[in-house]
Amino acid sequence: MTPRRRINWMELTGGLMVAGLIAVALLAPLLAPHDPTRAVAPTYGNPGPPSAAFPLGTDELGRDVLSRIIYGARISLTVGIAAVLVTLAIGVTIGLGAGFFGGATDFLLMRFTDVMLTLPGLLLAMALVTVLGPSLLTILIVIGLVSWTQIARVVRAESLTLSQRDFVIAARALGAPPRHLIVRHLLPNVMPIIVVMAALGTSGTLLLDAGLSFLGLGVPPPAPSWGRMIEEATIYFRTAPWLATFPGLAIFYAVLGFNLLGYGYLRRRGR
Amino acid sequence: MRRALRILAVLVLTMLSACRGDAGAPAFPPGAKVLRIAEVSPDVPTLDPAAGYDTSSWLFEQMLFSTLVRYGDADVKLHPDAALSWTVSPDATVFTFHLRHDVRFTSGRAVTSADFRYAIERVLNPKTISKGMEYFRSIRGAPEFVAGRTAHLSGLETPDAWTIIFHLVAPDPIFVDKLAMPFAAAVPHEAVERWGEDFSRHPVGSGPFMLKEWIGGQRIVIVRNPNYFIPGLPKLDAVVDLLGVSEGLEWLKFEAGEIDISAIPPAEFVYVMKTPALKRLTTHQVTVTTQYLGMNCQMAPFTDLRVRQALNFAIDKDKLVALLNGRGVVARGVMPPTLPGFDPDLKGYPYDPARARQLLAEAGKSRLGVELWLLADQTELMIGQSIQQDLALVGVDLTLKPIALAPLLEAVRQPNNVPFMVFGWEADFPDPSNFLDVLFSRRQWGANNDTFYYNPRVDAILKQAAPVTDLKKRYALYQEAEKIIVADAPWVFLYNPVTYVIHQPWVHDLILNPMRPTRLEKVWVTPRN
Repeated sequence: MTPRRRINWMELTGGLMVAGLIAVALLAPLLAPHDPTRAVAPTYGNPGPPSAAFPLGTDELGRDVLSRIIYGARISLTVGIAAVLVTLAIGVTIGLGAGFFGGATDFLLMRFTDVMLTLPGLLLAMALVTVLGPSLLTILIVIGLVSWTQIARVVRAESLTLSQRDFVIAARALGAPPRHLIVRHLLPNVMPIIVVMAALGTSGTLLLDAGLSFLGLGVPPPAPSWGRMIEEATIYFRTAPWLATFPGLAIFYAVLGFNLLGYGYLRRRGR
Repeated sequence: MRRALRILAVLVLTMLSACRGDAGAPAFPPGAKVLRIAEVSPDVPTLDPAAGYDTSSWLFEQMLFSTLVRYGDADVKLHPDAALSWTVSPDATVFTFHLRHDVRFTSGRAVTSADFRYAIERVLNPKTISKGMEYFRSIRGAPEFVAGRTAHLSGLETPDAWTIIFHLVAPDPIFVDKLAMPFAAAVPHEAVERWGEDFSRHPVGSGPFMLKEWIGGQRIVIVRNPNYFIPGLPKLDAVVDLLGVSEGLEWLKFEAGEIDISAIPPAEFVYVMKTPALKRLTTHQVTVTTQYLGMNCQMAPFTDLRVRQALNFAIDKDKLVALLNGRGVVARGVMPPTLPGFDPDLKGYPYDPARARQLLAEAGKSRLGVELWLLADQTELMIGQSIQQDLALVGVDLTLKPIALAPLLEAVRQPNNVPFMVFGWEADFPDPSNFLDVLFSRRQWGANNDTFYYNPRVDAILKQAAPVTDLKKRYALYQEAEKIIVADAPWVFLYNPVTYVIHQPWVHDLILNPMRPTRLEKVWVTPRN
């Protein structure tokens, strides 16, 4: 087995960052000084700069930017994690199926994956959202549908190798049914790679969600999604740069956290 | 007039030097005077004058076609266009027009009285499904013609190629104004018959410009009509209109000098007005427009008067005007203050959320979910979110449904389709009937009455007012109808906007009209440095 090393700085930093993000999302009602969807300052059409009362300023509709970013963490995390679960469900199923059964099944599943890979993810996501109509559920499903291909390929490669390993061959020789082989032998051994893909995938879905929101196809208003906050701030970029800067930093923070966590874990596993 | 886009001057003009090759953009010879226009909407709904009834379509229809009469560049007085002169009988039932002899379609054929007759009969023909039909129903013989019993309108005489006489069944003091709308523009029957529904794609007119290229989602290009009947016009060689350019992008293009005229986004307005060099380049016009939220009176929950009134109390209109940097005044009724017949004593609905909650509770609608249809552009969505905030305070959960202009215009015509919408109406001619009759009468269901409002008393007063030539009496009747409409509240009356545009220093003679999209035939450009 791969040597186990101690937790490294990347993993630690990433983990702390992600933990912080989760804490902010869970404690949003306690942390946010204001209601994120209501006007708290009369800065209509003329966003207010950061001040003592509003540390990150107020937007063109008089809403507190800090509160919106705090509540935005909920949406970003929900979308990020739930979409990754959808992604994993599809990707792992297809990858394990192809790798374990091989032959025609492998050929068909992998050619299907190749076809999906040829479609540009963002464009496909845009088309699907346009057809299905933007909502939180749609976004989760759409992101899942466009980002499972990488996971399927990696999981297939792993399970292909694993199914030639002695312990699998031995189990098979003892007459273990496919279900048992997959659940008891393959899945636990591809788990590490799945964890890495999940962490890295979360940051990918966060960015995809921000991109869709920026294009007006994300979670509908008034929900304070970070991508939408940036989109709404574009016309104010010169007169009120803080409106776009702070949600941008929030996205940067979340993506960095998940990436550090993922790569740190990968490094510890010595891959 | 038609559906007003919030930004009337959908204009972003650029002088294109020929070598600047945008991929696929049409090439013009060096030195060509080209203006580039842009608009938020991804497409212009139509270029067929019988069909278009929105600011975006009329901008082009006005430049591609000729009407008998037209408004001035900056005024709303009637001036000759294809007609040399006209006379009105003392009882305002007979209207005689004498045409110019030198007006030609771009196909080369002379425009005669028969072409104007054809255009009006085409609008009245039910098969055309024209939104302008109601304006010509008062011509004698219209009911028989509409029913298909006669081949021609008996009240529309063309004694010779250059004379056209309209006989109306009742006096109409504003009939000539109706002929200034593109609905009454001359169209050649041979082109309409050849192209059928595709005439919109292949328009043949006699205006200062002609269509060169129209690619939905990309651009419309119109070029100078060399045979235009007014010598020396147009002064431009071509106008390129970029479609689907967001407000933010429009502004960036303007700043980069790629665009000659731009609307001013709310975010930039304060800065522009504080900078003398930029302020000098702005021009503004108080338009005859009312912005409103339409509530479909035939669809729940808006069948309940209390809900409609509650929403009027619930929305903070001062906040909306503030969001637009003060570019407007709060509306208290249907008619804008710039419209003759405006009622300054109308009280309207003040902002009173407590009253709104009370009315909703009485209606048993303390919690309510509604979907608001609106144009997909940034300012419109900002306004939508402001309304969303206000309504949340009174227990109404508002969902926003952003949509492009053309499908929105089509959707609101269908009964039981759009419950709640953000819209504006800009006058076509300076008379209250253009707001009250067009938007609130029963016969405009499926055409322009997008709230499907009906009150028999209002219809009766409107019918009574239409032929009244004494302006004082006429306006008193319309104000009476307006009071009932305001009490019935099919709209949330929002605000009357003031339009601002900014142009580059090399653009000259850009004049905004209070009622119509800007005409570009007199605009000229000098080489930019």
